[in-house]
Amino acid sequence: MTPPAQIESHKRRPRSWLSEVPIPMPYIALAILVAMVTTQRPSYLSVAQLNLTTLEAFSLILVTVGQTIVILSGGLDLSVGGVINLTTVLAATQFGRGGAHMVVWILLLLLLGLAIGAVNGAVVRRLRMQPFVVTLATWSILSGVSLLILPTPGGQIPASWLSFGNMTVGGLSIWVMGLAGIAVFWVSFTRRPLGRAIKALGSNSEAAYLAGVRVAPTVVGAYALCGLFAAACGLFLTTQTGGGSPIIGNDFVLPSVAATAIGGTRLTGGFASLAGAIAGAYVLTVINDVVFTFGIPQAWSIVLSGLLLVMAVFLGELRGLLHRWA
Amino acid sequence: MMGDRLKWVRRNVGTLGAYAVAVILFSAITAFVPGFGSAAHIRFLLLTAAFVGVVALGQTFVILGGGFDLSIPWTLNAVSTITTALCLGHDTRLLWVLPLVFGLAALIGLINGVGVAIFRISPIIMTMAMNVIGQGLVVLGFSGLSSTKSPPLIRDMVNRVVVELPIGVWIWLLLAAIATILLSFTGFGRRLYAVGTNDQVSRFAGINIAATRIATYVISGVCAGIAGLMLTGFIGESSLGFGDPFLFASVAAVAVGGASVLGGQGHYLGTVAGALILTFLTGLLPILNLAQGWLEIIYGLAILVTVGIANMERFRLEA
Repeated sequence: MTPPAQIESHKRRPRSWLSEVPIPMPYIALAILVAMVTTQRPSYLSVAQLNLTTLEAFSLILVTVGQTIVILSGGLDLSVGGVINLTTVLAATQFGRGGAHMVVWILLLLLLGLAIGAVNGAVVRRLRMQPFVVTLATWSILSGVSLLILPTPGGQIPASWLSFGNMTVGGLSIWVMGLAGIAVFWVSFTRRPLGRAIKALGSNSEAAYLAGVRVAPTVVGAYALCGLFAAACGLFLTTQTGGGSPIIGNDFVLPSVAATAIGGTRLTGGFASLAGAIAGAYVLTVINDVVFTFGIPQAWSIVLSGLLLVMAVFLGELRGLLHRWA
Repeated sequence: MMGDRLKWVRRNVGTLGAYAVAVILFSAITAFVPGFGSAAHIRFLLLTAAFVGVVALGQTFVILGGGFDLSIPWTLNAVSTITTALCLGHDTRLLWVLPLVFGLAALIGLINGVGVAIFRISPIIMTMAMNVIGQGLVVLGFSGLSSTKSPPLIRDMVNRVVVELPIGVWIWLLLAAIATILLSFTGFGRRLYAVGTNDQVSRFAGINIAATRIATYVISGVCAGIAGLMLTGFIGESSLGFGDPFLFASVAAVAVGGASVLGGQGHYLGTVAGALILTFLTGLLPILNLAQGWLEIIYGLAILVTVGIANMERFRLEA
């Protein structure tokens, strides 16, 4: 490919330092919320509590990582809800007594998530359909299939899987270490070609294409990774709930986008902060604890997460405007 | 003259195609399933299609303008729940409850519209957030309800058969007529198509884009409210969460009806056909003894297939 002489880019000006400063919003919000709970429950700041909170937050963290990757590429994945539903119902009906059979199924489910995501990406790219429309449709289809497999929450999860999910090593839940694993994944992901291609695509798709990024595999890769993380989320959920549910995933769709947005990731693509997204997931989880601790009715936590999402996006817009005029 | 007619057909091929499919589908099903075409069953089908048709009316306007409304489920639910909770089964209270709930529905639409058109928040995000906020507020205010029973007047209004069709269906027809007039014969309709097609050109033409878009969200909110009342009347009570299937259904009806999900192209009459097609398909479920899960699968496939085909058409034309 001959390099373009001039790229007619609307982002001609080098990004000002303003856009590189990590946005402190999720960390400040988290600090405030944790402080609020600690006033009523001094034991909140302890390792035991850290384990508990991480357990609460980990499912959202998993699905948020995937969502962040897709949003980074300039898209959106609503079907994570469906993938989670399907994963939990299949786990609850297929894991059986555990052992090797279960391990095979765990791998199968992860592959299934990957494959579903790949299909999403292929349809978005090949049929030039809007991500929202495609993933809305696949969300619907997957939820329908989940309902067929397991009409009401239930099923059975083998004890071995449950105890694996609740293991601690040296006092720390294995999922706290899971966080470390995610961090390692992200660092390597952002350095590798796929990660860079995804970011380039989300930033300016024409420029990325002209610069040699192969768009179709990149899009497919982004959605496939998202599906993979959604499946992982479903698997994690089964260790906590002990069963499967054809509707449990639906409550994760908005929060995954909200956590990503609160974390400072631009919803139009091109810039993502994993640390921010994880902090965002913690924020949404701790809100639940705040609501519970202060005796506020449970429903306020979803209201607040909706409000936070709007605020985060709005602030993001403001930043965008500011640094265009700055 | 012949050229004009041809152009009209080509422009409306999506809508016409949808009606063709609806007719063929209905005929095919009736041929194989006895009783599907009976008068009573047709009335039932039309009434259940009316619910989808009414929410899809709002969704049509929003999509034509280039947006999406994901707040339909809980706007619908809010109107329904608040009405039953405040009326406590009596009709007299409707006098003040109806304006209240419709005001609320319009307000939700207004907030959506302002967020999208003025604060530039993505419609998906804005309406998704409003849906969730609506859910929280309804649950907060009204779970552990005093009453979920529908006021008798509403039940009557929706179900009573007048001139062969339930009033609910007449309501839908009336709304369809209003929508058609708005889209095809008023300045608002022309502006809406312009805004959905091309922002820049609309702005240069002096159209108030924000006002047009906001209006579509208000229409959608009000339609969701109407559908909520109709549904309450039909079932006899309101329940939390019964609005959820209508999100997928409304988008599917609009897509199947030939409108472009990118905006600027399509018509509510197409959505009507889309609603009918979906209702025929889902009406098969109990007959074929298929579980509820198939409903969502049908909606999802309908969206993928129709938008996919439409896109393939588009690319062949562009190539």
